Amino acid sequence: MSTPAINLTNLCQHYGVHRAVDHLTLTIPEGEIFGFLGHNGAGKTTTVHMLTTLTQPSGGQGQVFGFDLHDQAQDIRRLIGYVPENVRLYDNLTTKENLAFFAGLSGVEDIDSAIQSALAFLDIEHLANKKVGSFSKGMRQRVGLAQAILHQPKLLFLDEPASGLDPLGMKMLRELITKLNQEMGMTIFMNTHLISEIAKTCTSIGILSAGKLVFHGTIAEVNQRFAHEGAIEDLYVNVLQTQQKETV
Amino acid sequence: MSNPAQSTIHQTFAMVRKEWLEARRDRFFSALTGFMLLAALISLTTGAIALAAEVADFTSAKDLLLSLGKSITNLDAGEFYPLKLLRGAIEQIEIVGAVLGIIVGFRSASGERGRQTLALVLTRPVTHRQFVMSKALAGISLIASSLLMVFAALTIFLIVISGVGLSTDDLTRIGLIWGLSTLYVSAFFLLTLLLCLHLKNPATALLAGFITWLILVLIAPQIGDTLDPDNQVAGGVFKQLHVQKAEQDKIKQGYATFETIRNGVEVASITKHFERASFAVLGIKDNYTGKPLLPILSEKLSDLLWVLFSFLGLAFITIIKPLQFSKLVKE
Repeated sequence: MSTPAINLTNLCQHYGVHRAVDHLTLTIPEGEIFGFLGHNGAGKTTTVHMLTTLTQPSGGQGQVFGFDLHDQAQDIRRLIGYVPENVRLYDNLTTKENLAFFAGLSGVEDIDSAIQSALAFLDIEHLANKKVGSFSKGMRQRVGLAQAILHQPKLLFLDEPASGLDPLGMKMLRELITKLNQEMGMTIFMNTHLISEIAKTCTSIGILSAGKLVFHGTIAEVNQRFAHEGAIEDLYVNVLQTQQKETV
Repeated sequence: MSNPAQSTIHQTFAMVRKEWLEARRDRFFSALTGFMLLAALISLTTGAIALAAEVADFTSAKDLLLSLGKSITNLDAGEFYPLKLLRGAIEQIEIVGAVLGIIVGFRSASGERGRQTLALVLTRPVTHRQFVMSKALAGISLIASSLLMVFAALTIFLIVISGVGLSTDDLTRIGLIWGLSTLYVSAFFLLTLLLCLHLKNPATALLAGFITWLILVLIAPQIGDTLDPDNQVAGGVFKQLHVQKAEQDKIKQGYATFETIRNGVEVASITKHFERASFAVLGIKDNYTGKPLLPILSEKLSDLLWVLFSFLGLAFITIIKPLQFSKLVKE
């Protein structure tokens, strides 16, 4: 059995008395497109910050491809790519200069060729020599994706990737995510609060509420339980209502 | 890139290069350097005009004596030391240079925080310490280059307006003060970088930087002169009252505590140490004019070390203090 992409046991993140992530236990196998669903403030971004080694967990255990979150951050960073919500780059630099910078940080050997491949993959070669400061949200999102895949990571984190995109932009993003998963073999971890995105893109989902994982399963399992078009929406409402009742 | 040391060098180089590229495109940095250059050149010109007026006075006095058929042997022509004209420029570096350091430090850190590019950088295989060290290296090298331009322009201007070529000794002294200025301005850069990377709000960090500047650059160095009892009368109280040295010491013992505090406040400022060392090395202070460099360096070693250790201390704290990402992200 291969090492899971993500393996978490009772992972916690506390800020004083506030439990942003509360005993999260989750396993995501390699090759999945995992949708992490939850309200704003549910703890999705906090989880991603821990998984991308930006912050240290307050408690619990976690591994990314077998590397420990607490003390193997550098090994994890070599394997991941990250696109934050509202990605912004260095406005005064061109796309190519931005990408060359991130490729340099990632230890890419042939920087020019890596940039060329990423630009071609995302179909943004025409933006190569333009300063990113003048780009629209959608264009920035693509350059943001390019910087995250330059070093061909095994696991890609996307934090609210569809936020602020128009319908066409969302469609293109969906296609790109699928392409990254299928053609480049990347495992995708996607934070979102847009149920429609999950249904159209993901292979498995997790629902987070007040820092707690209240559901985890494959899309096939969801469709089995709620066999109609609004399956995930129904599941989402259902599990959250159940949890609220339990809390009361 | 299998060799970790080689990889670290490449990553550091990539970060420094990016900072340089941004600074080159950023008109704000060029404008600040230009402003400092202009202020320094104006000070130099003002000094040159004052010197020209003195020379004119001397010439007219000499002409008058000669026209009266009198001897001019007793007329003191004085000696011309071109480096003395740099006094105003050094004062501008003390004040404007420190502001440049603060602003470079603020923009270096707050730029990453505001754009949220910090998350992109810190998810790469670079350590937080490596990131901060690269920021520090880039900022210091930018400051050094900015000051190099200022000192190069000052040197050329000095040669042109004085009409006297500078000796190797003069150029060495200027080079030394360029290095000292880089350490001095970089200390303010590092202080603001440190504050901006560790305070929740970058605006608070900038404010704290400017309050420190106000105290260290404008208030503390002036305390020495303003609160010195002997400075309360032009020419000195003791001198005007014809008080002998032994008597002076006896009087001073009466307010020794006050004097210790006054001097303590004055010497707590890095600016005062920078000024004392610069004025001595360049021979701006009369008692150092024309003196060889090595004895001056030896005498002013404590001032030089104060500037050096302030810089090194701040660099050490900035690099060693762990970053807390959750504090740095935009709410």
